[in-house]
Amino acid sequence: MTDRIVGALFLLLAVAYALEASRMQVGFLSDPLGPRPFPYIIAALVGLSALWLLFRPDPDPTWPPRHLWPTFGLVLLSLVAYAYLLLPLGFILTTTLEMTLLSLLFGARWWQGLGGALAFTLAVYFLFTEGLGVSLPVGRIFG
Amino acid sequence: MDILQALMNGFGVAFQPLNLLLVVLGCLVGTLIGVLPGIGPISGVALLVPLTFALKMPPESALILLAGIYYGAMYGGSTTSILLNIPGETSSVVTAIDGNKLAKQGQAGPALAMAAWGSFIAGTLSVVGLMTLGPLLAQWAIRFGPAEYFALMVFGFSTLSALAGKNLFKALIATGFGLMLATVGQDPQSGISRYTFGFLQLEDGMDFLVVAIGLFAVSEVLMILEEKTPGAIRAQVGRIYLSFKDFMASLLTILRSSVMGFLIGVLPGAGASIASFVAYTTEKRLLGSKARFGEGDLRGVAAPESANNAAAGGAMIPLLTLGLPGSGTTAIMLGALVSLGVTPGPQMFEKNPEVVWGLIASMYVGNAVLLLLNLPLVGLFVRLLAVPAWFLIPAVLAISFIGVYAVNNNPFDLLLMAVFGLLGYLMRKLDFPLAPVLLGLVLGYLMEINLRRAMTISNGDVGYLFSSPIAVVLWVLAVLSLFAPAILARLRKQGLGGDDEL
Repeated sequence: MTDRIVGALFLLLAVAYALEASRMQVGFLSDPLGPRPFPYIIAALVGLSALWLLFRPDPDPTWPPRHLWPTFGLVLLSLVAYAYLLLPLGFILTTTLEMTLLSLLFGARWWQGLGGALAFTLAVYFLFTEGLGVSLPVGRIFG
Repeated sequence: MDILQALMNGFGVAFQPLNLLLVVLGCLVGTLIGVLPGIGPISGVALLVPLTFALKMPPESALILLAGIYYGAMYGGSTTSILLNIPGETSSVVTAIDGNKLAKQGQAGPALAMAAWGSFIAGTLSVVGLMTLGPLLAQWAIRFGPAEYFALMVFGFSTLSALAGKNLFKALIATGFGLMLATVGQDPQSGISRYTFGFLQLEDGMDFLVVAIGLFAVSEVLMILEEKTPGAIRAQVGRIYLSFKDFMASLLTILRSSVMGFLIGVLPGAGASIASFVAYTTEKRLLGSKARFGEGDLRGVAAPESANNAAAGGAMIPLLTLGLPGSGTTAIMLGALVSLGVTPGPQMFEKNPEVVWGLIASMYVGNAVLLLLNLPLVGLFVRLLAVPAWFLIPAVLAISFIGVYAVNNNPFDLLLMAVFGLLGYLMRKLDFPLAPVLLGLVLGYLMEINLRRAMTISNGDVGYLFSSPIAVVLWVLAVLSLFAPAILARLRKQGLGGDDEL
């Protein structure tokens, strides 16, 4: 069943992808082939394979048990939050928070997680910024 | 004598202090990655690419480092297979069968030593193969026009799709999806924006590092979260030794598996995992009742470990001579080289000999370094397994953040990484292979540009794509390779369930 849904989704994706290609405006400066045919070929490849999946699906995978779903959601949400908080809060604070959260989810005690996260974050921050010349955000609230 | 002269120049490059340091670093990191379950060679290579950019390394140094990680991981992967029955990498899954039996019989030392020696011999032989076959293939491929290149890429994608996963159609979807990602951004020929949906951050296209780290490293975190994580592990290694008698008894197996692994490695899509699996089953059948495969035979360790190292060397051939990577890891190397201003392909042997020959020479050095790392120091690496998962996994993720952010200094890439992390997890659960996505993304641009050049030359005549004998042969091979899964399935039935290269 899952594969049928996935097949349908990829079929939709292929159709939408081809439609979007057909709407491209091409100037007269283009090469003979232009920007549209290559996407059409890809859409055909994905569409036909997805169609096959619709009719010949694999057995369903085993999904994680329900009690793990909040954990998964939390991890994904924290990754999104990380992207938004990195510039305002800076690398050290954001990374320490993210690492601590993950450590806790992987079964650390809070002081282990916080200690390990802070130590590692500080170590890589100075290694990369001072040692290797990579610029990492300091954080708007600090400066 | 041309080759010897070129090799001498290569050693000149490889023995520069920086490059010597990088070989050792690459082998060290590779072994680490091999030993630690939960981080594979693809993630490892992807995470170190930003470092090569940040340090403004010359391309040959970057490639020496990245390749060291790649073949280093092949050595390290066997250690946990043998000692704990936990394969560090998919290419060492078969090693666990006899390796772990040997360890339980108190023969861990000989098994580990056999893995190290087999790897060393195979690794060195594969560099010899790379050195002799590479220039020949490059000379032949230098006459390729856009039509041949397009056919070559179709062939590459078709073997990859055929061999990379359990379900051919899922692999084809993954390939197509990767190609879709490659078309995001400004069209190089007409200049219009495609599939950017108004996001300025997408004008330059999706960065292969962001996609690679998301698909492989982040999704791995989710996988480990789901599986019951093993706590800190302690294992006894004992004395690493191998008697001369045992070594001689396995020598033929090592040599045969090296040749087999090398040839399989050259083929796009058939990486180290398939090589180790095929070598094991072939040796098992060849030796028959003379060996005790499955009950703890040293040759059962020698065959897969030789084959996967030889395959890593073989995989460098299409990458260097044709610019056609056959696996996720080599795709990242291609992307890194392109970012550093070198386009792999037949011209590279003439235009950038220091990159090709520097790499080849460094692989001789690297294999010797790895033998030293793995024979006396293997106990040290095993002790690293005592690092608990609650520290290791978040730490890998923190490095991923730096790697992704450093690409463009833009947090938008971190969002993309999260999206690809979820996507990678779902794909793993649904048995979609991940490597074709990465290859599609890295090669899509070249594939389209060659198609369009061919059509410009022929003024729109599609027949031009099939007009040369080489192109026709490649098209035929591409179609034939789609039948490979059926053959592999029959092989698989005869013994064991070999796992796939992601």
